[in-house]
Amino acid sequence: MAETIDVGTHAGDDHGHDHHHEETFWSKYVFSTDHKMIGMQYMFTGMFMALIGGFFAYAFRMQLAFPGMDVPFWGIVTPAEYNALITNHGAIMIFWVAMPVLIAAFGNFLIPLMIGCDDMVFPKLNRLSYQIFLLSAVVLLASFVVENGGFGGAWTSYPPLSAKHEYSLTPLGSSLWITAVALEFVAFLIGGINFVTTAMNSRAPGMKLYDIPMVVWMIVVASILFMASVGPLIAGAIMLFMDQNLGTHFFDPNAGGDPILWQHLFWFFGHPEVYVVLLPATGITAEVMCVFARKKLFAYRTVLYTTFGTGVLSFTVWAHHQFIAGIDPRMAHVFTITTLLISIPIAEMMFVYIATLYGGDIRLKTPMLWALAFIAEFLIGGVTGIFLGASGADIYFHDTYFVLAHFHYTFFPIAIIGVYAGVTFWYPKMFGKMMNDTLGKIHFWGTIIPFNCIFIPLFVLGAAGQHRRIHDFTQYPELAQYQDVRVFATVSLVIMLLFQFVFIYNFFMSLRKGKDAGPNPWNSTTLEWTTESPPGHGNWKELPTVYRGPYEYQVPGRDKDFWPQNEPN
Amino acid sequence: MIERYLEQVSTYAGDIDGLINLIAWFVGVWFLVAEFVFFYLIFKFRHREGHKGEYITGEEKHQKRFITIPHFLVLVCDIFIIIGAVRVWVDVKQTLPPADATVRIIGQQWAWSFVHPGPDGELDTADDIKTVESLNTEVGKVYHFQLESRDVLHDFSVPVFRLKQDAIPGRIISGWWKATKTGEWDIQCAEICGIGHGVMRARIKVQSAAEHASWMHENSPVASIASAN
Amino acid sequence: MNRTNATLVRHASRALGVAALLGLALAATQLSAPVDANAQDETAAAVAVDPERGEKLYALCAQCHGENGAGNPMALAPSIAGLPQWFVEGQLKKFKNGARGTHFDDIPGMRMRPMSLWLKQDSDVVAVAEFVANMEKAEPVAILEGGDPEAGKAKYLPCTACHGQNGQGNQALNAPPLAGMSDWYQLWALKAFKAGIRGTNPLDTTGALMRPMSMTLADEQQMLDVIAYIGTLSGE
Repeated sequence: MAETIDVGTHAGDDHGHDHHHEETFWSKYVFSTDHKMIGMQYMFTGMFMALIGGFFAYAFRMQLAFPGMDVPFWGIVTPAEYNALITNHGAIMIFWVAMPVLIAAFGNFLIPLMIGCDDMVFPKLNRLSYQIFLLSAVVLLASFVVENGGFGGAWTSYPPLSAKHEYSLTPLGSSLWITAVALEFVAFLIGGINFVTTAMNSRAPGMKLYDIPMVVWMIVVASILFMASVGPLIAGAIMLFMDQNLGTHFFDPNAGGDPILWQHLFWFFGHPEVYVVLLPATGITAEVMCVFARKKLFAYRTVLYTTFGTGVLSFTVWAHHQFIAGIDPRMAHVFTITTLLISIPIAEMMFVYIATLYGGDIRLKTPMLWALAFIAEFLIGGVTGIFLGASGADIYFHDTYFVLAHFHYTFFPIAIIGVYAGVTFWYPKMFGKMMNDTLGKIHFWGTIIPFNCIFIPLFVLGAAGQHRRIHDFTQYPELAQYQDVRVFATVSLVIMLLFQFVFIYNFFMSLRKGKDAGPNPWNSTTLEWTTESPPGHGNWKELPTVYRGPYEYQVPGRDKDFWPQNEPN
Repeated sequence: MIERYLEQVSTYAGDIDGLINLIAWFVGVWFLVAEFVFFYLIFKFRHREGHKGEYITGEEKHQKRFITIPHFLVLVCDIFIIIGAVRVWVDVKQTLPPADATVRIIGQQWAWSFVHPGPDGELDTADDIKTVESLNTEVGKVYHFQLESRDVLHDFSVPVFRLKQDAIPGRIISGWWKATKTGEWDIQCAEICGIGHGVMRARIKVQSAAEHASWMHENSPVASIASAN
Repeated sequence: MNRTNATLVRHASRALGVAALLGLALAATQLSAPVDANAQDETAAAVAVDPERGEKLYALCAQCHGENGAGNPMALAPSIAGLPQWFVEGQLKKFKNGARGTHFDDIPGMRMRPMSLWLKQDSDVVAVAEFVANMEKAEPVAILEGGDPEAGKAKYLPCTACHGQNGQGNQALNAPPLAGMSDWYQLWALKAFKAGIRGTNPLDTTGALMRPMSMTLADEQQMLDVIAYIGTLSGE
């Protein structure tokens, strides 16, 4: 036990003077089994990949706005490179940014701290999960630099294009790409087991199921969704790899295979995947909103049941991606109905969040701005989804920029806004320092305003019939007239990307110069705020006991406006 | 909404646009109300000195009402949208009105090619007219198409018709349209098909009966052989 | 308005100001780019084009024709390294204007036509052609079997009029060199000429000359023989 007691004395950033431990650099930062360190590893890897994904977006948006130009820091974007850029922008942002940061980084960091235990139940499995993930990222990066370039068959990688090298023209790139994707799935499969087991078995004494903070519930449900849906796609990825390199014909219609099979395998995973990343982000939003509105979460149980409802329904909607893919047209009715039904739990969740604001005492600190922006922006993503879920309207909208804009109005709030809400909120706990709030707000407005300037115009382009994944629209007589709109979106993107440097600066400067945070800078009630910042190895000197639910703010008859979960009275 | 950007050139374009407008009204009202309430609450309950928040669990019936009533209203809207979507879908994708002519549309990396039936009105006869990058049709006729692919997935999309359908190697997929005015418009490929996908373009020409007949006469291989003799 | 809101508005307006400035700066840099491209266009014919530009643009060609230009039968791409500049330029222009790659059965041509359309300015076509012409000749892999060069020698006689004794080609007659051309591609091209897939488009005046010549080869065996004989030529 000596080790756990020690840790409090050198919380902070004095890595160099670590006499008390026998931990070396390698055992502390690279081969650590501590859930917090693994969470950090996921977070920093995810942020690094986000820079690459963002840079790709810059390169291909420049090509769209100024076709044929020599893009600064990239060069001429050939059609082959354009396809590789959009493919890997999508894959990176979903599989190597949203997944590792939202599920793995926050899941690892928060679950033990929020349920009051010292570590994950399977720490070595946890480490293995990160190592496989890191390997998958390396394989992916390698796929860009091999001969003939990176894979360019879109992140959905529909065969036969992705299955036959003579069609894709990137033999090494596509093999490495599908290998990387499969490895990434395996990594999260392993991680998911850990999250669910830990949350179910290691809760602090007194913490009942309805006392678990919402973000933990949502990460657990997301992990279950992921584990239940990814199996078919891992099998599919192996089949695709075999089609590419071993001469099998699973997806080759010329030899009795079926390209549509892949679409089912992919979307059976792909649609639950949307909710896999959505749920942690909504969970983070719930935590942040309760703290900064000084409010109990409105109807905790309703939120929980809508989460379960969303999870179950998400397995029944996948073929709405395939309305016009040549499936039996009668199937469309079934999937239209299920898709529109899933709008109900999601709408309900949004209503609950809006209702939580009622009667609050709202403080607009940076994390709260992000959380509120999540609701405001995600609503746009939600309502535009109805157009695509309704089969008749999807005939027109399928694969247009309307889909692309809708998708980004769901995924940007999830993967960017949700992540910033979480990082700015838990930063004091992660590093023991406060971030600069002014810089945080500059970054916030510098991201949110250009974000809307990028994607609102793209809705218009989609309505005007502009299709996705085309590298130069000026050659289509009916689309050439909208070139100004494309330039506007691209300029907005560049501005938004530049503002991310404000965040990076704030993040690293606050590590050195930020004010000391203390254990509970936001006056929050959940368990992670009851230990020092950053928590040492083992998290608490003495593990906490839980007496009440997670959101007891403004309880009548108490002096303080918050009542931590671990205070007896 | 869509008709402001793109003409309606097929008989069902108006139905699809109508459905889109219907959805726009339903979700638009919901969206505006939700955002209005949201921003109003942020303003109303902003932090002020000496002001305390309230303790509301949201678990009691009279509180939950604020969630359950909108919940059922959303369900009602969903039902209307589903009915609208199903009606349009059945009309466009599930029924084939009797054909006046049939064309074959073939996608390959990276061009659209077309087989027109020629003067005899039948496909797979000697007078078929084969073209690349341009499809000639007649206004006011019900056309069936047989959509094929020679290699990978493609997607035949004519935005002004509001028509879109994936082409799948190994399958022949049927569908229909009936054009309502003459002119020339874009055909796009809407499914990524390789490095030339972005340039896989074609034009559809909708001609009057007289124009189309003369085009057919000039281009049919059998007709030209006959006139040469 | 309380203090928090006032600071918010101040931050927001500051952010917007910065954003607008950056946008303007970006727009300013962009305005100059197309002007440069136009200037290049006018001088392209007179002055040698930027070899670096040709190399950059070749990145797309390399996808099918290979880094070394040796071609790739899997991608239906013939060898192109070292072909004369006038020929490459002419072919690219034929693809661009639709003289090639627009026939219903021209599967390889349909793959090439969109690629040529990517080269929007004439100066870019010249630059790529220049780069290809300066590439070191790459020996394409021979994949055809069953040709008899001895039998082909006689059949090659009519070809010499334009393509030369040693298959070296003749710019004056628009005849490309044949030595070093991918054998499978020669077979495909001969068949295409014969079947009218090539040389029938009214815009393809040079192809129209080749079409009757292809008729001198009665069947596939004769084509194989000629191609086998061409394989023995030096091209000098």
